[in-house]
Amino acid sequence: MRFFTPIALGFSLVAPLAFAQITPEEITVETMSEPGENWFIGKTGNGGYIFDATTGEMHGMLSLSRYTPAVTHYAPRREFYATESYLARGSYGERTDIVAVYDYENLRPIAEIVIPNYMARLAVRGHLGLLNNGRHLAVLNMNPGHSVTVVDVEDRVFVYEASTPGCAVIMPVAENDFMQVCGDGTLQLIQLDLSGFEANRVRSDVFFNVIEDAVFDRVASSANGWFLITHRGRIFHVTTDDDEILIEDGWKPHLEGEERWQPGGRNEVITAHHESGLIYVAMHEGPIDTHHEPGTEIWVLDSNTQRRVGRIELETPANSILVTQEDEPKLLIADSAGGTHVYNAVTFTKERSIQIPDSTAFEDF
Amino acid sequence: MNIDRVFDKTYYWIDDNARRTSLALARRLSRRNFLSKLGMFIAGAASFPLLPVARSFAQESVQEVGDPQTCEYWRYCAMSGTLCACCGGTYTSCPPGSEASPITWVGTCTNPVDGRNYLMSYNDCCGKAVCARCGCHNTEGDKPVYFNSNSSTVLWCFGTENTSYHCTVSLVLGAADEN
Repeated sequence: MRFFTPIALGFSLVAPLAFAQITPEEITVETMSEPGENWFIGKTGNGGYIFDATTGEMHGMLSLSRYTPAVTHYAPRREFYATESYLARGSYGERTDIVAVYDYENLRPIAEIVIPNYMARLAVRGHLGLLNNGRHLAVLNMNPGHSVTVVDVEDRVFVYEASTPGCAVIMPVAENDFMQVCGDGTLQLIQLDLSGFEANRVRSDVFFNVIEDAVFDRVASSANGWFLITHRGRIFHVTTDDDEILIEDGWKPHLEGEERWQPGGRNEVITAHHESGLIYVAMHEGPIDTHHEPGTEIWVLDSNTQRRVGRIELETPANSILVTQEDEPKLLIADSAGGTHVYNAVTFTKERSIQIPDSTAFEDF
Repeated sequence: MNIDRVFDKTYYWIDDNARRTSLALARRLSRRNFLSKLGMFIAGAASFPLLPVARSFAQESVQEVGDPQTCEYWRYCAMSGTLCACCGGTYTSCPPGSEASPITWVGTCTNPVDGRNYLMSYNDCCGKAVCARCGCHNTEGDKPVYFNSNSSTVLWCFGTENTSYHCTVSLVLGAADEN
């Protein structure tokens, strides 16, 4: 004891001198750097996680309501738009639905526009769409009848509500128009004027039977229109020419003996790379009415030749997929166990897994 | 000209007979008697359309088999959500403090006991935080959101004071093979 006491005293005198040489650190807050190729949002039940698919690094997060169906980005204004729904006391109380506007640099809410409080509270990417060069945002409602709210996100005002009975999904086309899928087996085209009000409405001929083989309410944009897929795997490409809806003949990618393979998953089951025309579909083997079964494989289809060009076998089945639109695109997969994976969308090889807890869908930007 | 005269005579005959009959009834029957007969007629007529329906409901209740706290229970063939039977309710009742949604989606399930198909109504119980027990997602006959009466993925807390989702029950509306 007599020996240790002087040593301890010595250390107590030296230690403050040692610490005095270090400059105290100060906390700082990052801002977003310029987005790179293959950046994407992984949307979950409580926010949008922003990642670089090439490096696997996370760059920031958007806080979103748990009922947010989707989030989208408009690069020229450097803003994100998300529909959100809140109850005053969490699980009860007055409901308020809004379009929230987030700035890119800080990912903070900078504006909100109150909308009719019956937006469809389902995680469906096609439940909102930007129109008119990013001026108007169309939002799907369900009360339980369907309608569409149009919001001017530039002037931050609610514009208009269009009743769309029996029709859902928002597929922006041309400048100010959007198409919808309808329960009577048709497509509906709604054309807006420059102010965001409905100017014209057109219905297509019947091209599918909702009882026999329904078209999914999950759709994929193409270079000039949209790809639709039925529960049994028939693919349609749909476009518009002014006020005319054009529906190309449907085709199936199945080879002989593959009839039991069906598209399926809880969220986005189809995605397409615009420039190459490649379509990616989550597929599984099973009977009818298994359209929410996650895909054990991703089938890669060439829309130009209407043939399958690849099959990607998955370790864990996929519930939601998205291909980025870059020259070297990545295929993003949310699996049924809550994991997220990045594949090279051209070579079909897995590059990495990323932790995005319970990601339900992706948004490319 | 003759035809007009024939019509006039016919109308006169009808009017005259109606007047005579009314006067005869008025002399023989009291007003109370007339009202009682009329009441009996109306009540009797009203019961006629009820008879087949009443016979239908008078049949024995639906026989149950299986565990209503599992997704494999026969009533849950088109169920999507969490089971109220696991959350303080039953397969037909909402847990305490929650609010039953009057608007539902429907499906048709086969009861293994009698092999009959039953029309099912799936009602969400609302107004409380989600009861995250016994998740169940079956898609028999499920349709996309644009055909929402048969869409199980929709949150059906419509027409309730609070629109948060708590859990789901399944009610038999009738046998699907009944006319």
